[in-house]
Amino acid sequence: MEYLIHIAILISIYAILGLALNLVVGFTGLLSITQAAFYGIGAYVTAILLTSTGMNFFMALFVGVVITAVASLAIGFVLSKFKDDYYALGSFGFNIIIYSVFLNWQSLTRGPLGIPGIARPTLFGFTFSDNISFLLLAIIFAITVYLICSYITKSSFGRVLKAIREDEEAIKVFGYHTLWYKLAVFVIGAALAAVAGGLFASYITFIDPSTFTLTESIFILAIIILGGLANNKGAVLGAVALIILPEILRFVGFPSDIAAQMRQVTYGVILILLMLYRPQGLVGEYRL
Amino acid sequence: MDIIPQLIVNSIIAGAIYTMVALGFNLIYGTVKFFDLGYGALTAVGGYAVFWLYKILGFDLYLSIILGTAMAGIVGFLVYKLVYAPLRSRKSSSMVMLVASLGAFTALQALVAILFTSQFQTLSRAAGAEKVFNLFGGVITETQLVILVLGIAVMLGMAALLKYTLFGKAVKAVGDDEEVAKIVGINTGKVVGWVFVIGSAIAGLAGILVGFDTGIEPTMGLSLLLKGVIAAIIGGIGNVYGGVLGAFFLGFIENFGIWQISGEWKDAIAFAVLIVFLLFRPQGILKR
Repeated sequence: MEYLIHIAILISIYAILGLALNLVVGFTGLLSITQAAFYGIGAYVTAILLTSTGMNFFMALFVGVVITAVASLAIGFVLSKFKDDYYALGSFGFNIIIYSVFLNWQSLTRGPLGIPGIARPTLFGFTFSDNISFLLLAIIFAITVYLICSYITKSSFGRVLKAIREDEEAIKVFGYHTLWYKLAVFVIGAALAAVAGGLFASYITFIDPSTFTLTESIFILAIIILGGLANNKGAVLGAVALIILPEILRFVGFPSDIAAQMRQVTYGVILILLMLYRPQGLVGEYRL
Repeated sequence: MDIIPQLIVNSIIAGAIYTMVALGFNLIYGTVKFFDLGYGALTAVGGYAVFWLYKILGFDLYLSIILGTAMAGIVGFLVYKLVYAPLRSRKSSSMVMLVASLGAFTALQALVAILFTSQFQTLSRAAGAEKVFNLFGGVITETQLVILVLGIAVMLGMAALLKYTLFGKAVKAVGDDEEVAKIVGINTGKVVGWVFVIGSAIAGLAGILVGFDTGIEPTMGLSLLLKGVIAAIIGGIGNVYGGVLGAFFLGFIENFGIWQISGEWKDAIAFAVLIVFLLFRPQGILKR
């Protein structure tokens, strides 16, 4: 049971990451492979504030989201100069740069040692110390993010995003300042990823840079491509599928280090097969 | 030992390695026009093939290197046949190709880790007891000298191949316009296949040389790939000489950069250079 709860919490966290990335990749058509960087900034800011100042979790999470939003505004501005595959490559670069910061800014992040002893969230004197209550919290966050995303994608703002994806020049002619829209959605996507980061940090109670590598960004991308681009349900579906699938490998009986690598093989092969046979994913409404 | 001559020697060696990676990458990109990230994992394929042949099976050194290089070429060709060729015949967008190549990269890298564990290995049998030469006050090992010579040889060989042979002309023709190349009777499928074999073999060779100089691990490909891509882009993508210039430029910036700040920042420095170039001189040092 404890194990199932753990899986469910992970699914909630990755559903948030997928939903957030889907706004950028699926709805706006910007192939960003740097989601793990924002996930990481959110996690680190929350963790550092919780361990060093003893601030309330929700306050710390809020600060984490704000700092991530500011960082993503700067990164998004640079990336907005690029197109298509150069955009992807540039976003790659930022993931590696931010990862280097986690690894090397040792006075703040303790580098490869990571930050242990992160407190579980507390609200009005109640501590989410057991996993059931934490799962509840994670699900509430995931549902909130889902509602935010479906509101955004149904609003007029969301329609402009889709228009940018389909034909940026055309929507410019109609007088829309596309740069602002692209920046706004990039910042929203990053801020929501930071929420997932804060949740992750206080759930595991330990973080280190190895969680926020480029591989993680590729994994999050695989989630939304499998589930389906430009579909919020698809992002959740993808998270469920890609978290559960590798767990099956564990039951087949591979030793744990090989199982970890088998997961990578699975993600890789899934990406290839999807591109070959079903580029729109399970329920996607847009193909790359 | 003076620091400046040593830094210059280190920069030149790094430049020679990056030159190889960039040349192979450039050859592939110039012909098929998409970022083949799976290319990075082939450095590990080459490195581990030699590790297996030379250190485990006890083959002759030169034979192992030749077979290892060939092995990388064959694996690269298989990835092309199984993944890229069907996608290309479907006229998939460069973003689809990029995502598929990400999948190939992730899967290949994990397969290598399953076969040989993730442990760091060194290829050289006489580690630490190598002959050392003095070069203008800097120290260079025998392996590094070989790297330098092979780097130059690959560069000259590539230039000659593209300029003076019928195959080279066919490659250029396919790169310029595949449809027209087909119309004038070039067997484009065969040419592209060979491009993948040659490019991948060069990647394998680079991986092998890195293995003799420092060591190999399954994840070595990402860093090497990115350096190669960055070198190719800042040099002017698709331009053979540009790639070489970019590689040495990158080697110097990195090594002089870590003279001032710590060595773990190498990758971040490389990407910062790329982003600056993409922003201010997107066509690279030399235009195609």
